[in-house]
Amino acid sequence: MIPRYQRILFWTLAAAILLMTAFLLHGCQQAHKRLTAHNDDTPIAAPVTTSTEDITLYLANDADASIAPVQQQLALPQDPTVRARVLLDHLLTAYALPGSAHPLPSGPAVDDVFLVPITASTQTHSTDNSQLAVVNLRASFADNHPSGVQVETLTLLSIVGTLHAAFPRIAQVRFLVDGQPRETLAGHADLTRTYPVTDTTFKPTPPTTDN
Amino acid sequence: MLPTRRHIAALLILLATATFAQQPRTLILLDPAHGGPDAGAHLPNNLLEKDITLALATRLKATLTAAGFPVVTTRDTDPAAAIPPDQRAGAANHARPAACLLLHATAAGTPGIHLITSALPAATEPPRTIPWDTAQSAALPQSLLLANELGLSLQNAKLPVTLTRASLRPLDNLTCPAVVIEVAPLANPESTPTPVSDPAYQQRLAEAIAAALTTWRTHLAGAAQ
Repeated sequence: MIPRYQRILFWTLAAAILLMTAFLLHGCQQAHKRLTAHNDDTPIAAPVTTSTEDITLYLANDADASIAPVQQQLALPQDPTVRARVLLDHLLTAYALPGSAHPLPSGPAVDDVFLVPITASTQTHSTDNSQLAVVNLRASFADNHPSGVQVETLTLLSIVGTLHAAFPRIAQVRFLVDGQPRETLAGHADLTRTYPVTDTTFKPTPPTTDN
Repeated sequence: MLPTRRHIAALLILLATATFAQQPRTLILLDPAHGGPDAGAHLPNNLLEKDITLALATRLKATLTAAGFPVVTTRDTDPAAAIPPDQRAGAANHARPAACLLLHATAAGTPGIHLITSALPAATEPPRTIPWDTAQSAALPQSLLLANELGLSLQNAKLPVTLTRASLRPLDNLTCPAVVIEVAPLANPESTPTPVSDPAYQQRLAEAIAAALTTWRTHLAGAAQ
């Protein structure tokens, strides 16, 4: 026969263990929430000695499938190819920030951007001084991009619109992934075609009864 | 002289033939995207896009058949090998359907249904030869009308709808009026979003599409007359 005081002691200790377990679990959850809330993988910006300039980013919004131009200040290098790569990296990094309206994976996205003059030998649409931009995306970016027709198209149109605003001479864009042609970005949007560079500002219109 | 059974039967056949001749061609092609090793998007709860599109195509085929549409699909099962986009487009163009519906599913983007037409520019005049990469150009005005009709029907069914345009294959290679129907989870302000695998959600969608195609068929009949 177990004495009464020992039974009381046992149940008191058991209750204390349960309480401590619950307290620890709650603490772990709170810490996890606190850490993930500030999960910003963006590298800290290096000190800038050059002056900043106005740039226009064409930002996509998943909530209404729109693309809208947004003015920002950014220091960009002078070399056109490096300038284009830094600009697109800045654009795609913005999508990886917490609270982004078009969430994309964090990490480096653009390997290189090549600017090629469009001549009669490269394209039929030959215009004076116009260029073809070849955007070489990283496979890690494409592989982790959300999969869907709409979401992939928004990313491509955001890139095209941003290049259009910053580089008036670019008339067309092609995409590579790790230096190789690839069928789709993440299973849907066509990467085999050449995209005309235009103002990609877009807001979907509802269906109409006029027809 | 009273009509015999043969006379009545001949009259009925004549009537049926005349009615059929007035009906425009309303074969519907369904293309459940992905399949085989090409699983498509990985959706929450370990669901694969290829399975969702196949389930939706099966449900839609039954609903459309009940509404009197002949239906063909690019796949009825999960194939062992992936079906290339060119093969899907080839099969669709060979069938010469009145409308092509390409079914997709996603967990990203705007909540509800995304109706997507080709981003190609519309052809200004009927081409003598149809380039494979831009085959959809000639049918684009009809595709936009079809997308609008589907959008109106989905709105009537209280399903949120977004009309956009995109470049993707096999959409750009189709010669029929074609629309991509991409299903995304339904937002619920007071509870968790309705997943794309929800049977009630899929049934509402199938019925709204059938209603839209019935109206589309009526428009085609009016245009034919």
